Amino acid sequence: MKKKIGFGVAITLFALALLSTRFYMVDLPVWHILGGGEGPDPATLHLHGEFVESNLGIAKDAKGTFTVRMIAQQYVFVPQCIVVPADVPIRFRVTSADMVHMLSFLGTNYGLKAVPGAVTEAIFSFAKAGEFKIPCHEFCGPGHYAMRGRLEVVSQNQFPPLNPEERRNCEPR
Amino acid sequence: MSQDNRAASVRTKRGRFRAIAVFPFAVLFLAAGGELPGQRGEPPLRIPTDVAWTGETLAIISRGDAFRGLLLARRCNHCHGEEGFSAVPVIPNLAGIDRLSFWKQMEDFKSGKRVSAVMQEIATRSSARDSADLGAYYSMLPTGSDSLDKRWFPQAMRDPSRASMAIELIVFGDGRRGIPPCQACHGPVGSVKGAPSLATQNPDYLLEQLSHFANGDRANDINVRMRSIARQLTDQEKTALAEYYGAGLGPDVSAW
Repeated sequence: MKKKIGFGVAITLFALALLSTRFYMVDLPVWHILGGGEGPDPATLHLHGEFVESNLGIAKDAKGTFTVRMIAQQYVFVPQCIVVPADVPIRFRVTSADMVHMLSFLGTNYGLKAVPGAVTEAIFSFAKAGEFKIPCHEFCGPGHYAMRGRLEVVSQNQFPPLNPEERRNCEPR
Repeated sequence: MSQDNRAASVRTKRGRFRAIAVFPFAVLFLAAGGELPGQRGEPPLRIPTDVAWTGETLAIISRGDAFRGLLLARRCNHCHGEEGFSAVPVIPNLAGIDRLSFWKQMEDFKSGKRVSAVMQEIATRSSARDSADLGAYYSMLPTGSDSLDKRWFPQAMRDPSRASMAIELIVFGDGRRGIPPCQACHGPVGSVKGAPSLATQNPDYLLEQLSHFANGDRANDINVRMRSIARQLTDQEKTALAEYYGAGLGPDVSAW
């Protein structure tokens, strides 16, 4: 009898685990797109809101906190190359213009999922200076394997001061 | 109490009232971070194009009437060719063009987001419906070769040894630089809204547009997509791609 109960519990747990995977992989993104979430509309990112192209890249507000805004889309990250100071907490705000993408910061433990219709936010701080690749880590279509961004971490004294109305990338605009 | 004194006391009362009335707003203002709207710390807004792929836009374009487009297209024949193949190498071929990208370019010429002295004037006179009709017509024109007509396209590659470079970029891209394969968006392997087929496009036009994207002279692509890619291509790669597609060697969407 006890064995049977144990078996039943194990089966239930397994089923719940399967269901939760489904929840994160399927339902959550679908809800974000169709459920009228509060995130930006993927089709009109370039028209208004915080993800207009002039607002992308790293920003430093009046209080001195750094924010990086990025768009992931088939099959480029925008901006494709970002530069951040080392050893400072940096807030990332990422969204997608079409599919679910994922930024995986190679060489670090960090990763961020970019979901259309939602803003993913996380605070990372990069301990060592250097150059990191950001491959897309979620299959997004036939160009997925060539979708790669770059992250340049420079020491704080090499990072020139940033005005609040200025945005910086490591590529020319 | 004299008249003046009474006036003064009314004034101070008013002042006090004003201070009380303003106080909650001041608290809210400080709580919101103490920033005035003008000092928000945002860079000047830049909008690449007024077109967005919303349901309404797609509905306007898909209502395009090809027969009306055929009648309207008489005006375009002069430069873009009677069968949608232009006789001038820097003027694009329109045969088989994807109707979404055709419509978007017309709207961008109209709003001045894409700069062209000739096309701006023409596009301003063409309504959103006209552009949709024209797009429907041009998207139906055959792109296959015709032994009887004299078209400028295809042009043999000036340097055939560049073909392998072009094939590699079209099929594989270059992951190390973050250049996706051309065919993932421009077809036939994948498609993205607003990315036209390049299989029957004039080489000089392609090269010109790639350079314009690279140096920012043309900046009407949504979310900096083509600019990010073109910026990374070397001059040799741009030439190779333009000549390869211009030689009719690129993978053809209509054949797919």
